Order: sequence, then structure tokens, then C-alpha cells
Amino acid sequence: MAGKRILSAKTSRKLEGTLFMAPWLIGFIAFLGFPLLFSLYMSFHQVKILPKRIVYDFVGLKYYQEILFNSSALYDQLIPYFQEVVLMVPVIVIFALMIAIMLNQKLPGRFIFRAIFFLPVIFSTGAVLMSFMNQGEGNLGFLERFNVGGYIDMFLGDNSWAKPVKQVMNHFVLVLWYSGVQILLFIAGLQTISSSAYESARIDGATPWEVFWKITLPAMSPFILLNLIYTVVDMFTFPSNPVISLITTGNYGYNSAMAWIYFLIIIAFLGFVILLYGRINRKHAKANRG
Amino acid sequence: MMKVNLAARAKQKWTTKRSLSKIRYMVLGREINQGLIFKLALYSVLIITSYIYMNPIIKMLVKMVMSIKDLIDPTVTWIPSSIYLGHVAEAWKLLDYPRSLAVSLFIAVTAAVLHCIACGLAGYALARLDVPFKKTVFLLVISAFIIPPQVIILPTIMAYTELGLNGHLLTLILPSVFGFGVKGALFVIIFRQFFLTQPKALEEAARIDGANALKFYARVMFPLAKPAILVVFLFSFVWTWNDTYYPRMFLGASENMPLALKISYIDRNLTAFIQEGGFPEFLAEPIKMGASFLVILPPLLIYLFAQRYFVESVERTGLVE
Repeated sequence: MAGKRILSAKTSRKLEGTLFMAPWLIGFIAFLGFPLLFSLYMSFHQVKILPKRIVYDFVGLKYYQEILFNSSALYDQLIPYFQEVVLMVPVIVIFALMIAIMLNQKLPGRFIFRAIFFLPVIFSTGAVLMSFMNQGEGNLGFLERFNVGGYIDMFLGDNSWAKPVKQVMNHFVLVLWYSGVQILLFIAGLQTISSSAYESARIDGATPWEVFWKITLPAMSPFILLNLIYTVVDMFTFPSNPVISLITTGNYGYNSAMAWIYFLIIIAFLGFVILLYGRINRKHAKANRG
Repeated sequence: MMKVNLAARAKQKWTTKRSLSKIRYMVLGREINQGLIFKLALYSVLIITSYIYMNPIIKMLVKMVMSIKDLIDPTVTWIPSSIYLGHVAEAWKLLDYPRSLAVSLFIAVTAAVLHCIACGLAGYALARLDVPFKKTVFLLVISAFIIPPQVIILPTIMAYTELGLNGHLLTLILPSVFGFGVKGALFVIIFRQFFLTQPKALEEAARIDGANALKFYARVMFPLAKPAILVVFLFSFVWTWNDTYYPRMFLGASENMPLALKISYIDRNLTAFIQEGGFPEFLAEPIKMGASFLVILPPLLIYLFAQRYFVESVERTGLVE
């Protein structure tokens, strides 16, 4: 009797959990799982939309082949943007960490600065930013004054990196604007470091420089990874991302293949970032211990 | 005599030394991050970065109110000679502001409220309840965050067309009923992190009292989650407000356009105007800036009002373990 009761309590708890999770799971199937598989299906088919119904003709890997080997549309759009992302991600994360550390100091009036640095969260997406970019707002005046562009040309020459470097510099302020959420995450992270860790370091006579490398940075390590992932995902799903314009409602099969290739590239890039980060982190931890 | 003199001297020496070190402490600080010099340096860095940060916004505000005379005059860069609101009025007309504002508000508020409800439930289940295959479910949540909307957009459009919903505002709200839509997965994670930090004793007490889970959640846990609700509401509102991707895909031909989408149409219209020669180019910029200002005004007002609670909330959500 007692055993039965415990079991039923356990099942009822599971039922409760499932009940709470159910809306999200239904949503997952309807808005993510099914569309995801369906777009994979379409990417292997030629989709013909007839007035009454839709016809799917199997074409195999034809579209993938076309995109990857027979056309340059993907590469023309993707590679420059990719290079920009590679440059922007570290800039954003390092800038966010620096600002977060500064804002975490006990300064009178720091909430004013916080308000300013979170402000871009409000418009760091979408159309307003685009119109700023088109107006050429957001470039640092001194870049033109000191002809930095010219130096870059001299330095990198005809290298394919010259353009993305200049592009990022041109929008430097707006690049910094992408860091609103990241600053928030870092500040939330900095709050988790107990003040006693800092106190004991102070008693031991550690300089602020040492405190940063030995206490702050290791404690921030998971947040740095979190922010790296967030920033990469954000960059790749950003509305001004040129690859997005490649995926339109024209040819459903072809565009689905394009979307899937894009998705796999993002996954690969994320994997690469996580791997690289893990490696650097381990090396750093070892150096700290030794 | 000599002895007294010596003692007095020693005392004097000691006091000067002390006052010296006092000054030194004040300037340099007992630790470096308490000194005056450090604070000055910190303030100057913060002020300079803030200025760089705010520069585009300040420029927007200035350009928007410049009269035609000021725009042509090269000596006027920062301070307009008079405040002219014609560009903003023009932008107001082009945006069809009252209507687009209503559309934007309707979509963003509804999505934000629904996100708070649906993502709260899922986050609570993941943090506190017994969900079968919990780890797998959590993995699904994370994958939902990573999957770019571009991969699923085409089947979604087809499904909406099938349902006869294409071009309907409902297309933008429907996903948030279930906790999807713009960055929905992130909100589930925020709620989960918050509920993880709450004391376990609460639930045990409720269980002993025999309250059912849903009632307990609605009466106790959800009201407790105010910081998380505020953060999710604000993020959801702002991101939905600014989103152009879903509206462009779903509402392309609709008359009801949210502001963020409308502004990109203005951009195109003005460019066409200029190319036809019906419009001097230097006039387009202040109109666009006025439009940008009108678009960000409502979220800006909400932010100004909620800013303090917002920052405090982020710290209290335990957004990150």
C-alpha cells in the first residue's frame, strides 16, 4: 500500500513536470522541430507550387552541389561577413569585460554610466542601426584624420582582410554598441565573486594587476565563454547579415539547402570557438597553477 | 631641555609623516582602486567612452531638428540656430505613425506578456520539477537558441499560408504563445536560472499543505519571480519591437506594418525620390533621423522608466550561475 502510494506520488510529480513543460514542447515541435526537418526535406527536392497543391520532385544533393561548387553567391556574401565576425567578436567581448569591470567599481554616479552603456540594448537590433550605418554614423573621427585606412591598405595590401578590417573600423562605435547584453552578463557575473576573495588578496599584498589575472579573469571564464557564444549567435542571426538576403521565398528547395549550409557553418564556427576557448583556458589554468 | 626639544621634534616629525601619508592615501589610496588618481582616471575613461558611445544618438537628435538653413551652413555642426520640427513631422507622416505605432505596440506587448507566461512555465519546470528526460529537454532549449530563424522560415511561411494566416498580425504573436518567437529560448533559460536560486523549502511547505503545482506556481512562485519577469518583459518587448526579419517575411504585403519595418521602406522611398530628382539629398538625412527617433522613442521611454529596476533585476535574477 505504502509502496504504491510513493510510486503514484512520483508519477504524479512527473506528470506535473510534463504539464508545465507541455506548451513549450508543443511549440518546439510546431515552430522548430517540424519546420527544421521539413526544410531539410525540401532541400533535397525541387518544390513546385501549383495553384491547388505543392509538388516535390526528388533531386538529391543537386542544390547543395550547386551552392557549394557551381556558384559563388554564398562565398561572395559569406566570407567577408565571416571575416568581420571574426574581428568583431573579440572586440565586443573584451570591450564588454572592460566596461563591466569599470562599472562594477563602487563609484558615485555609476548608475548613470550603467544607463548609458545599456542604452544600445534598445536599438542594437534592426532598422535604426541600419540607418545609422548608412548615414556613416558611428565612425571614429580620428580614423579619417590620421588616415588609418591608408595605413591598413599599406599594411595588408591587396589582402582580402583589408576590406573587413576597414569595415569594422568604419562602424567601430556601432560594433561597441553590440555589447549591451554582454556587459549585463559580465556585471551579473562579477557580482558572483565574493568580496572576501578580493580582501584576502589585498591582505596578501597583491597588486590590482595580479588581482585581475588571478581572481577576476578565472572567475569570469565561464561568462567569457557564455558571451562568446551569445555574440557569435547574435552576429549570425543579425538582420543586417548579408547571408540572410540570400534566403528568400523564391526557390524553396534551393533556399532551404542554402539555409542548411548556413546553419552547419554556424554550428562549425561555434564548435571551433568553444574548442579554441577550452584550449586557451586549460593552458592558462596550467600556467596559473605552475 | 635638549631632551624635550628632541621629543618635540620627533613628535612633529611623526605628525608630518602621518599627514603626508594621509594625503598619499587620499591621492593614491590604500589600495590602488580607492585613490583619487585612480578614480579620476576611471571617470575620464568612462566619460570619454560614454561620449563615443552616445555620439551617434546625439548627432541624430541634432540633425533631426536642424532647419534647412542650418543644414546648408557648414559652420553649424553641433548647435542648431533654431529648433525646427518639420523633419520630424515629415517622418511622422511617412511612417504613418499613429497606425504603425499601434501595430508595433500591440505586437511587442502581446509577445512580451506571452513570453513571460510561457517561458516562465518552462523555466520553472526545468529548474524545479520532475520532467522526464530533463537533460534532453534542456538541450533542446539550447539548440532552439542556436538554430537561426533562416533555416525554419520557409516551412513556417508555407504553414501560415496553408492556414490562411499569411500577412496577418497573428503570425508574429502565435509563436510566443508557446515561448518561441524572437529569442524565446533565451527567456526560458533566464527563468530557469532565476528559479534555481530560490529556496527549496517553499515547495516542500506547499507540498505538505497539499497545494497543487499550478496553483502554487501561480500564487507563489510566479509573483516571486518579479526580477526575472522584468528582465524578460523588457528584452522581449525591445527585441520584438526592433525585429525586422519576421515581419518582413510574414507581413511583406500587409497594410499593418510595425515601425521597424516601415522605417526601412521609408529609406527605400526616399532613395527613389532622390534618384528621380524630386528631392535634394541633404534633406533625406534629417527625415531619416527623425524617423529613427520616432521608432526608438517608445522603448526609450520605457527604458528610462524601468532602467534602475532593470539593472538591479539582472543582478538578482542569477542570470548566470
